[in-house]
Amino acid sequence: MKKKMLAAMMAAVLAVTGLAGCGGSTEKKEAEEKTEAKADVPKEPFGDTIKYDLTVEINDGKDISIELWEWGSDDLFQQVIDGYTAIHPNVSIKLVNNPWEDYWTKLPLALDGEKGPAIFNIHNSYHENLINYLAPLDIPLEDLQADFTGVDAHVIDGNVYYIDYGMMTGSVYYNKKMWEEAGLTDEDIPKTWDEMREVAKKLTIKDGDKLIQAGLNFNDDFHQNYLLGLNYQLGENLFQEDGKTPNVNSDAMKQVMQMLVDMYETDGVGSKDFGEKGSDSFGQGQSAMVIQWGHFYNTLNTTWSDIDFGVFEIPTFDGEPYAYNRYNGESTFGVNKNAPADQQAVAQDFVKYFLANDDAQVAFNLAMSTFPAKKSLADNEKILENPSLKVLSEHIDHYIWPGPMPSTVETSLKKAGQDIFFNGVDIETALDEAQENIIKDMKNSSFESVENLYAYAK
Amino acid sequence: MFKKTHPLQSKSEIILRNIVVAAMVIFFSVFLIIPIGIAFAGSFHEWNPLSGTYNFLGLENYKDVFTSGLFGKSMLNTLIFSVVVIIFRVGLGLGIAYAIYSTLIKYKSFFRAVYYMPVVTPMVAVAFVWKFMYNPQIGTINQIFGLDVNWLMNPKTALIAVMLMTIWKDFGYAVVMYMAGLYSLPADALEAAKVDGANAWQTFRYITLPLLKPMTLFVVINSIIAYIQAYVQILIMTEGGPGTATYLASYIIYDEAFVKYNFGYASALSFVLFVITAVFSWLSFRVSGTEE
Amino acid sequence: MRRKISSIALNILLLMLGVITVYPFVWMLCSSFKKNSEIMALEQHLLPQEFILDNYVNMNAHFNFLRFFINSLVVTLVVTVLVVYTSTLCGFVLSKYKFKGRNLIFGFVLSTMMVPWCVTIIPKYSMIQSFGWMDSYKALIIPAMFSGFGIFMMKQHISSLPDEILEAARIDGANEFYIFQRIVFPMSKNGISSIAIFQFLWTWEDFLWPYLVINTQEKQLLAVGLKMFNGQYSTDYGALFAATAISIIPVLLIYLFFQKQFIAGIAASAVKG
Repeated sequence: MKKKMLAAMMAAVLAVTGLAGCGGSTEKKEAEEKTEAKADVPKEPFGDTIKYDLTVEINDGKDISIELWEWGSDDLFQQVIDGYTAIHPNVSIKLVNNPWEDYWTKLPLALDGEKGPAIFNIHNSYHENLINYLAPLDIPLEDLQADFTGVDAHVIDGNVYYIDYGMMTGSVYYNKKMWEEAGLTDEDIPKTWDEMREVAKKLTIKDGDKLIQAGLNFNDDFHQNYLLGLNYQLGENLFQEDGKTPNVNSDAMKQVMQMLVDMYETDGVGSKDFGEKGSDSFGQGQSAMVIQWGHFYNTLNTTWSDIDFGVFEIPTFDGEPYAYNRYNGESTFGVNKNAPADQQAVAQDFVKYFLANDDAQVAFNLAMSTFPAKKSLADNEKILENPSLKVLSEHIDHYIWPGPMPSTVETSLKKAGQDIFFNGVDIETALDEAQENIIKDMKNSSFESVENLYAYAK
Repeated sequence: MFKKTHPLQSKSEIILRNIVVAAMVIFFSVFLIIPIGIAFAGSFHEWNPLSGTYNFLGLENYKDVFTSGLFGKSMLNTLIFSVVVIIFRVGLGLGIAYAIYSTLIKYKSFFRAVYYMPVVTPMVAVAFVWKFMYNPQIGTINQIFGLDVNWLMNPKTALIAVMLMTIWKDFGYAVVMYMAGLYSLPADALEAAKVDGANAWQTFRYITLPLLKPMTLFVVINSIIAYIQAYVQILIMTEGGPGTATYLASYIIYDEAFVKYNFGYASALSFVLFVITAVFSWLSFRVSGTEE
Repeated sequence: MRRKISSIALNILLLMLGVITVYPFVWMLCSSFKKNSEIMALEQHLLPQEFILDNYVNMNAHFNFLRFFINSLVVTLVVTVLVVYTSTLCGFVLSKYKFKGRNLIFGFVLSTMMVPWCVTIIPKYSMIQSFGWMDSYKALIIPAMFSGFGIFMMKQHISSLPDEILEAARIDGANEFYIFQRIVFPMSKNGISSIAIFQFLWTWEDFLWPYLVINTQEKQLLAVGLKMFNGQYSTDYGALFAATAISIIPVLLIYLFFQKQFIAGIAASAVKG
């Protein structure tokens, strides 16, 4: 009996692994076909101010191979690599994919040795862990400034180590079906928070006291999507004038927090216990509106493809905000300063290729749903076809970046919000505690806010 | 005991002994003592391996550990977590093992296998599955029992929910351990009890249970070591929340070391935890009254 | 009659507990055939409403599953065999030989079990780097060769073997190596299978260390692959559950095969503490 069971299990294992094996081989074949089809090499130099000259030989035409580390979508990176190696057949770039969270444990440790990757993907939230291993970009500052926005915030002692290829920020996503059912039209799209709260009430459905449909849901991400952004609408920065002391217990922050509490507890348009995450709840068709950052657009299209949704710009308090919202950049690659010189040279050239190549820029921005930092792409058709990017285009210069904030700012505010909603702590105490926590955690941080570099800084 | 000492140690014994002892000493020195030494030295420093910071602080880190309210709270949580989970693990393990061992159950290896399944499944996957089951809207638990509880976000239930999952994952280990213990009970002792007319409960209480004491000790100490280091379930299910309601000591260490890269502080925390683990293990030895 | 009733009652009770134990697995297995939107859908059904194999088929899109599987199997087997051998050898020496400092060494071995992993992992990493063992299986195998737990278990186990047998062999002129290989080792069969199962499980599951020291994709292990589904903005639950379902199969098989010896081995090692 037992033997039979084991035999059956073995058979199952074999069947499944066999299956996986088959999947793999077809996958590979497709990939090969793709590369063959894509082998058309551009003939002319391309780019705006930063030009990529195809005729310059890399590594004197000798074979060289480097590693590129990244997390996320292999296909996206592979396309850029294929384009590059089609021009320079002597270069081979090996893609190493990592799980997002653990990438940040492993990468800095690897860069500390001699065998780290020559080039790697950066996320600015890990700026401090990486900056000591980065080589400055081999491109004149003026050229970068001419082609890209937000470069100034990345200048360190006259050098630039990486810049943003795109800017991600928050917008309101709404369920079109619920919108119609509530008798709302395009006219009703709110411009101010007061209007937003009224619309949310109309979108809320209750059965007695029981919530059936939430008008608005910010569970699990209120810190990221409201607290760290709406303060700017009220004219308050996240950091004080010295650029180092946090400013999270400001009156503006208290006002924002109070509004969140009121929306749930006074307006009753949602509940802390209704939907574990606002984003999932929207996808499940349980909540009518959420404020989410750009990546949510892709999540909706892949995971929640049944939801018919629209996007509108984040409301403001008075129509004339100091800034609409905080944005965060998706960063270009970093070059490892400890890598051998010939590898670094290839890495530098690859970054240049990436920056000059509009197709790559558009592909990366669409993949992440970020607004292109490359100025010439601000009115690119493909970009504006994406509704989550289109709503940003009008006021994109009115979004502000505080710099690569240490993660404690986010986590401390998340804790504060949970304390307020779930543990019955009052707003003042919770935010004071968050302030204290952030100060403690940033004691040794070299972070300095770049809010003063915002185009409309006071 | 002493009479068995060999009068003469053969040459091959000395060679084998020296090789083995030398290998052990070298191995544990290189892969444990030296790293521990480095970490211990680091616990007196402001140490961030990424930015290359390494500044002497004296006892500052330890002072921070003992004055940190969060550490105190998380130690209390760890204590509650460990005690409750260990009690259930031992209780369930013993009860179920005894049931399977009894002549009343026929398909013994079937049950043993079933209860052991959660033990061999990676914690990461298990924690995700349970997170789904605890979901207030779509979770199995609320749906089956018709409840409306936000298990992981209510400060009253969050730690309980995590403990419940841990008990589920780990009780099978105790079942198998106690099965082993029961199978190796001396038959004559049980036989004698039967002859003396002891009923089932008396046999269990006065014969079986005391004989299983070494196994209980083994399970308890292994559990203390494991639970004081537990953090994966917290990382995935609550991230310490709501607020700081489910912070466990090891989760702080993980957070300080691999999120904030405060290696000095994390090392100091680790050594404090190490001492606490050792004390509790020693205490359980004392309570059980076993020597060695 | 009463016996029969209590037997049935007990069976039902155990079966119910069994259902509770197995239910999350069934849920996971069923979910591995669902799309992510169905896993998270408001309307929950245990059985997939739309049965898909994509999660299994696409596994190779994330990583070379078969390759990782084989890598894991090889590394885990090598480590397990080594640990079994060193544990038995050390257990033998520590339990059957009397010498100065023996208790000190044993006490030390015991205390190694209590050191939190996070204390040593960074210094160990730099050490491996300076040895030049990065990205090779040396880094996975050599630091795992001795196990405090294994030595502890085997010492307990071997001390229960009667000295008379060893003495008899010595009188027959056998040297200690022979005694270990031909007498102690075979007689510790049960202890060995319990160590083997524990060690196999731990090595099979271990994630952080292999992830840190292995860079080349082709050399990576399965447990690391499981983490690939945790993305920057979301987790691919269906794929995670599918991969987990497959990855626990070898461990379950090993356990099923060696269940008897495993339990007998634990009995001999731990009870006679």
